[in-house]
Amino acid sequence: MNKKGFLGYLVVLGIFFLSSCAPAKTESPLATEETVVTESVATSAPEAGECLACHTDKQRLIDTAEPVVEAAESESKGVG
Amino acid sequence: MAPLEPWEKVLVDGEAFPKTDHGELTCIECHLGTNVSDKAIAHEGMVVSPSAQPEIYCAECHEEETAAYPNSLHNTQAGYWTAINTRNTVEGAVPQGHEQLQEMFGNHCATCHTTCGECHVSQPENVGGGLFTGHVFETTPPMTRSCTACHGSRVGNEFLGKNEGYPGDVHFREARMNCVKCHEGADLHGMTEETASAEHRLNGAEDPTCIDCHEEVAAGDGIDMHERHGDTLSCQVCHSVTYTSCDGCHVAVSETSGNPFFETESTYMTFLIGRNPIQSEDRPYEYVPVRHIPSSPTSYEFYGDDLLPNFDALSTWVYATPHNIQRYTPQNASCEACHSNPDIFLTSDKVKAEELTANALVIVDVLPAPVDMILAAMPQPAEHSELVSNSCTACHTEGIRETPISPESHFGFLNESCSGCHKLP
Repeated sequence: MNKKGFLGYLVVLGIFFLSSCAPAKTESPLATEETVVTESVATSAPEAGECLACHTDKQRLIDTAEPVVEAAESESKGVG
Repeated sequence: MAPLEPWEKVLVDGEAFPKTDHGELTCIECHLGTNVSDKAIAHEGMVVSPSAQPEIYCAECHEEETAAYPNSLHNTQAGYWTAINTRNTVEGAVPQGHEQLQEMFGNHCATCHTTCGECHVSQPENVGGGLFTGHVFETTPPMTRSCTACHGSRVGNEFLGKNEGYPGDVHFREARMNCVKCHEGADLHGMTEETASAEHRLNGAEDPTCIDCHEEVAAGDGIDMHERHGDTLSCQVCHSVTYTSCDGCHVAVSETSGNPFFETESTYMTFLIGRNPIQSEDRPYEYVPVRHIPSSPTSYEFYGDDLLPNFDALSTWVYATPHNIQRYTPQNASCEACHSNPDIFLTSDKVKAEELTANALVIVDVLPAPVDMILAAMPQPAEHSELVSNSCTACHTEGIRETPISPESHFGFLNESCSGCHKLP
């Protein structure tokens, strides 16, 4: 086989491998699972986001904090 | 420890926490609540302290610790109940006032109960709560924000050197050791034989012991005092310094605020050696440092009359393990510093008249003889090694079989003291 023929063989072989992968990815059940995974990530991201968005924001915590209630210890005397 | 601002208590480190194992979970998986930005709705049904239910939230990953922890003293607080029940129960009589005592306990003592999270992620609720380091879980609890936040007024102050005029523990000063260097996780979680289902903190064998690290002392390090006194004195008798004692704690509920409160009559510094009230194979020492605890017959009188009818069943000067260990102390400076020094022994004149009965086992009746007297003491005759009886006084008080009669200075000495001076050849 000459050089041109060998290159042509490689191109055909490459197309074969690529084409043999592509349909499987679209048609196998895995394709559906991948979609589910994407959706699951999309759902959990805002879950963490809402809690963390507030609890990592010092100013927001200061603004929304409950008024401080006087501690009971003030009525105790001596070493506990 | 300065109290945290409300926002500080709940501020999460958005960089560090998500990178930890616990950060892989969503907030709602442990704390429930709802994922919305409105605070009130978000917190509805929220579990503030998931680890208060470790079997639900911790056991999946921390199976052994969770299984053992229910029986650990940090959870059961059994030490309190052991003392309360002993003083509440008169032999042969039906215990009275248990409901009142339970109410008292719930108001004043139960707040010291500790969850997993109160050591590993936040300060204990009892001292105000608040996350340690942005919700990052700490395998080793930070000492001053966790351990000594609760165990502060005695152990913490001693260990860290906060009692004015008295040095902190050498293990802290010189080696910056923290609590868990000696009190390992397995002990704190109740996973060892000594700590599983313990009735109080001095149950069973000493754990930890000093010789866990100082093995050379047990093996024979050539130090004369260790050879002579290793079995009869706890290590702290020679190596601890002055520590805190307290008197007269009373608890009540405030008429104005409705909040429980306590009041202790006095707190003062002591160093006193007493007889070991819990001498056993595990703790064979004849003498230990003793600390006055603030229990009084009327400590709980707010909740009912005569709730501690058997108060004298336990001493008020108790076996102490002061956490201010020093290599050199006033009492180990010389033999005479201890042997001719009545000031450091719990003699009856140092005990309140109304507590003499309770402390009968602890009070030192006869002080250690002066060193000169010990050195001059005649040795026992060789044939004494064959005697079946070890009751020296049986013969030497009356002069039976023409034995020498003990001098007047020996009156009050116990049989087991004799061989301390009069050695077999």
